[in-house]
Amino acid sequence: MKRILMGLAAAGMAIFMSQTASAACGSVTIADMNWASASFMANVDKIILNKGYGCDAELVPGDTMPTFTSMNEKGEPGVAPEIWANAFIDPLNAAIAEGRIHTANPAPISGLGEGWWIPPKTAKDHPELKTVLDILNHPELFPYKEDPSKGAFYTCPAGWGCQLTNANLYRAFEMESKGWVLVDPGSAAGLDGSMAKAVERGENWFGYYWSPTAMIGKYNMVPVPFGVDFAGKENWDGCIVKPEQECADPKPSAWTKSEVQSIVTDDFKSKGGAAMEYLAARTYPGPVMNGMLVYMQDNQADGADAAIEFLKSHEDVWTQWVSSDVAAKVKAGL
Amino acid sequence: MDFFRPPMMDRQELRDLKKSIDFGFKDFSRNYGDALESIFDPLLYFLVWFEKLLVGAPWPVILFVIAVLAWFGARNWFVVVGSVIAFLVIGYFGMWKDTMATLAIVSVSTLICIVIGIPVGVAMARSNRVQSIITPILDVMQTIPSFVYLIPVVMLLGIGKVPGLLAVCIYAIPPIVRLTNLGIRLVDKEVLEAADAFGASYKQKLFGVQVPLALPNIFAGVNQTIMMALAMVVIAAMIGMQGLGQQVLRAVSNQYLALGFMNGLAIVALAIIFDRISQNYGKRLQKHLEGGHDD
Repeated sequence: MKRILMGLAAAGMAIFMSQTASAACGSVTIADMNWASASFMANVDKIILNKGYGCDAELVPGDTMPTFTSMNEKGEPGVAPEIWANAFIDPLNAAIAEGRIHTANPAPISGLGEGWWIPPKTAKDHPELKTVLDILNHPELFPYKEDPSKGAFYTCPAGWGCQLTNANLYRAFEMESKGWVLVDPGSAAGLDGSMAKAVERGENWFGYYWSPTAMIGKYNMVPVPFGVDFAGKENWDGCIVKPEQECADPKPSAWTKSEVQSIVTDDFKSKGGAAMEYLAARTYPGPVMNGMLVYMQDNQADGADAAIEFLKSHEDVWTQWVSSDVAAKVKAGL
Repeated sequence: MDFFRPPMMDRQELRDLKKSIDFGFKDFSRNYGDALESIFDPLLYFLVWFEKLLVGAPWPVILFVIAVLAWFGARNWFVVVGSVIAFLVIGYFGMWKDTMATLAIVSVSTLICIVIGIPVGVAMARSNRVQSIITPILDVMQTIPSFVYLIPVVMLLGIGKVPGLLAVCIYAIPPIVRLTNLGIRLVDKEVLEAADAFGASYKQKLFGVQVPLALPNIFAGVNQTIMMALAMVVIAAMIGMQGLGQQVLRAVSNQYLALGFMNGLAIVALAIIFDRISQNYGKRLQKHLEGGHDD
């Protein structure tokens, strides 16, 4: 009996809540991922949803797979602002097809992704190096310290998925016969350090990295187009990302597009109302995002500090995502 | 209440202080990094040459050299056969190249540690003031978390063999310094008095009496230095040093159980072989000296 009463009370609460939701979006949880850009976005979302849309938004710590699983199975948290979906695109698409999860924004950050980068100075000094194909013909510009007759390509540390990808692209582009060595930096710190050292000294550097990151923002690294098209999903998923022995014949290909999305639960979609429009409209320009990451690193700021800094200093960016009265409310709430 | 809070620098000032140190270091690296790097170039060439030599040599030659070294070090058939079998197994499991790379780095870094460490240890034994200055430095070198100095080393020298070697040496040099110091200090005062009585010069006393009598301790130091160098192989792999350590890292981040154990055990095998050879050699020195003493 007690249980039924409790159930009734809960149902009553739910009705009451959904009624208030028409005016405001109610309580919502946002996944605060454990890397800088996602944490920053989660904090911005929290402030805008709370101040601008009258939500009761709360952050919950998260990581890609646990958060996705929990959203899919339990409907919590309601919003995940930055999900890198390449690794589990099939389960995600299945969940979207079932209607348990919805894509609120298919590309919340512009100009993001993985690829091969060079420092801005290299790009300026050697304007003829327009694509990866051009660079590959000039290993002498990127000498490898331990064997200066070869060019050094800095790949991912051992154990990262992208190490396999780079190793297969190395074979696909026939870099060995063109005089290149794959240099394993050993760790994230090693990769960052090799890039930082080269840029600080004005040396040439050629290697793998990804954006949005503070490193790319800080050093204004230049992504190099591959000079070939993406050679199809089959080549990429069936060969390039696999260990060498499972990829007998890799074909040269541009890096696959990174699927980064803002996703929400069905529950949030149905009651979020105007907040959904905000999520769909908020696209961070790549340079702004990288700039915020640099700010966070230089000032050792966390996501919450960075969100306030962003809302104060980049009004021109975020006021376009919301209506003018919401913008006024957010500004007043800061 | 303010009184009860520990005195603390203002947040902003603290941040500025950290920033100015970072920028200072960056400026230093920008201005002198190339020069520093070129100082280490000969070492790099030697390392590359040595590794190529080990990797390029036919495996029976390496096995033969190992066996001969084991015999001269340990004079024990068990150690000789054990070493050869260990290397055969390592080769059979496809870790030959990585093992040779590790072997090259560990031998060169041990050599550097000995060349620098023994004179420093002797200097410490000669003067209490030098000892009181160097001991805390050794404490720092042994206890500071490796990544703290790995990052500046990478900023200065990039990634690869030389920074890896430096990292290994920073960690591995203290035992040889400490034990050389200890060994010389433990030499009997009466023996030294006797040497004085015979009119031995400083040089004769040092090389004829103190160092030979301290040799067992010095060898214990060499042994410990080799062990610590091997222990650092994995850490140094994090700044791009090739060898077994890199495979261990790969195994750790991919949860490859077998790969991790195989390469980990290869490091253990190297350690045990080095240990038995150097320890038995040290012991034999001691026996020989004790025998000479009794006669």
